[in-house]
Amino acid sequence: MKPKNIFKFLTTAVLAILLLGSCSNDTDAEKLFDKTPVERLNAQKSELSTALLDSEFGWKAVYFTDDTQLGGYTHLFRFTADGKVEMASDFDNDTAVYKSDYNIVLGSTVSLLFDTYNRIHLLSDSDSYPTTALRGKGYLGDFQFLYYGKENEDIIFRSNRLVREVRFVKATAQDWADLSKNLDTEANLVGGINSPLFKLLEIKDGSTTKKYDFSFSPVTRFSTSKSIDAGSSEVISRGVGYTPTSIVLSPAIVVGGQNLTNFVYNPADGSFTATGTNGVSAAIKYSNAPLVLTDDYKVTLPAAGAPSTAFGYIAANLSTAPTNSPLCLQLLNEINAALPSTQKVNRVQFTFYNNGTADIMYSFTGGKATFYHRVTVTKDAVNKTIILKHSLWHNGTSVIAAQALVKNLDDKLLDPKGLYVTKESFRITYTNTIYTFTGASSSFRITTYAFQ
Amino acid sequence: MKILKQYKVVLLIVGVLTITSCAHEDQPRESQLDYTQPTKTELDNWITANYLSTYNINAQYKWNQNTVDNNRFLFPPMVDKVKPALEVVKQIWLDSYTEIGGADFVKKVAPREIVLVGGVNSNTNGTRTLGIADSGQRITLFEVDYLNKTNRANVTEFVHTIQHEYVHILNQNKPFDEQAWQKISPGDYTGTWHLEVLATSRNLGFVTNYARNNIIEDFAETASTILTSTKAEYAAILASITDPAGRAKLQQKEAIVVQYYKDAFNIDFYALRDAAERNTTKVINNQP
Repeated sequence: MKPKNIFKFLTTAVLAILLLGSCSNDTDAEKLFDKTPVERLNAQKSELSTALLDSEFGWKAVYFTDDTQLGGYTHLFRFTADGKVEMASDFDNDTAVYKSDYNIVLGSTVSLLFDTYNRIHLLSDSDSYPTTALRGKGYLGDFQFLYYGKENEDIIFRSNRLVREVRFVKATAQDWADLSKNLDTEANLVGGINSPLFKLLEIKDGSTTKKYDFSFSPVTRFSTSKSIDAGSSEVISRGVGYTPTSIVLSPAIVVGGQNLTNFVYNPADGSFTATGTNGVSAAIKYSNAPLVLTDDYKVTLPAAGAPSTAFGYIAANLSTAPTNSPLCLQLLNEINAALPSTQKVNRVQFTFYNNGTADIMYSFTGGKATFYHRVTVTKDAVNKTIILKHSLWHNGTSVIAAQALVKNLDDKLLDPKGLYVTKESFRITYTNTIYTFTGASSSFRITTYAFQ
Repeated sequence: MKILKQYKVVLLIVGVLTITSCAHEDQPRESQLDYTQPTKTELDNWITANYLSTYNINAQYKWNQNTVDNNRFLFPPMVDKVKPALEVVKQIWLDSYTEIGGADFVKKVAPREIVLVGGVNSNTNGTRTLGIADSGQRITLFEVDYLNKTNRANVTEFVHTIQHEYVHILNQNKPFDEQAWQKISPGDYTGTWHLEVLATSRNLGFVTNYARNNIIEDFAETASTILTSTKAEYAAILASITDPAGRAKLQQKEAIVVQYYKDAFNIDFYALRDAAERNTTKVINNQP
């Protein structure tokens, strides 16, 4: 063949091969799924929408938005096929049921979206934040939840932004009726105005018992428990959710391989207990005395010849200190209420002299004269308290009659069982060390600055 | 000829193959995507009639994570607050521009989407973002839940947001004389405008503290503040400036704004302000 013909032949041959081969169905990619991605997503979508409708009384979720710093908020949902959802939440006292829309949408995966306003959006309000660290972030809540499938009867989601697991469990009629009781549980955990101020978390693993100093903030629904063992710096931090009869901790406290999350309330002694098997349990209990007694009280007993020491509650700076007990605030408010509107308590200040006496100074704003309660100071070395006893009242120059105005507060300071004195580790506004004085036989605690 | 015949045969085969080769391929079936239209509520129909059909603007009140900043903790507005907010926007903003700029003005230069957000968009430095304009296409309005139609100050702040963002959109369509503007108060812009005192800013020739952020915001603040103030209110702002140099600077900026509206859109800026004021009064007195 001539070169020209060879070329023509080749061209024709190549064309024919390409044409004949073009429709081969053989693609090398291995088929991992029987269905196309669209079919699979649609199947997931219908699976989720069916599941949401498949519960007579809807669903319950205790939503922990971020259990490293916040607690859980219980939500009840009842979905209907027309895209509406009825919802109630224990976020605040309004546990009524509200109606809004929901939708099942495609994001990074199939997700449940509450696309019009309802209770769950309260957790995602940049202007409503529990602590200044969360300014602009609200309660870190999401209202779009990625569908991760079903587990037994439950539906598993993850939150859209923080990717936390959110578990929808089937709700009961009782859940809807009792939702407002969750807030009673909160009140039980916080305690009343006369409840003891000290709480401990006691963990038993069947053979040994460990104790922790338990504290809880209802604003963030978050608890922190510090080990009371000398030398131990172990801290157990957990988010807290409420049920009508118990609190739910997240993440669970793991003892001997068992997860303890549900702490049931005992109205008899105000404790919350989670019980496992083989002697494993954990309980949050009241304690009438501090869990760790310190020698901090000695600052109130200067040795002969030493300078006096002073500790002052200054209303302008310390009235919002978290360490003031509700009883203390109530008594201060009682005094303010009894004064003319232009006058308020300014300071309640101790000066401890080096001769076993002290002055409790009461000063006021608005021109009211200052007065003092002179007391004797003795120590109770066993219980590590100081006991203040009445000597006289004076105004700086002469003796005056007892001041009925401050009697109720003053009585707490002169607690016959004495006052615990604690050097705190935090500061408020100024660099002065903070000391608290706590009644040994009442739930009174006042916060002061040290002036030395 | 022989070669030609061969070619004809080859071409015939090729043709037949080409036409029939794909005959066995699956024909497209019905779409698997869900095209069913969601049920429209009364509110949806109202939006369609008053925004979508009239101005080709969509008003979105249902949440869509793609139209908001996912780093912010925001939430959709309460449904019953949506219509009042959109009525305010329509009456004070759309109607005023339509009256002065002509029936088609907003239809041509307008965001194609208004996104409504219920709560405050709070920043970590303590300031609030009241609105956002995205690339001339979308305006996001915050704090819809807190709009009170009977409170003039509240309505004015809300409308100020949309007027401000719309000025951005106008600027994104036709830029203003940025060089001339830059020369008026070159050294007084600051990123920490939220820490400034209003009286100081005014004496430097800025209508608000936020105007000190940059010249783009300065232009939008100057224009939107004049548009949301009455003639007397704006005169009072000028009169409150104690530094004559500052007052002159603000008036220079005002002149550029007025000229911009005239040159770029053939709009009498003061007539627009008067129309906006009339419409604001109507909203507050609940007149149609």
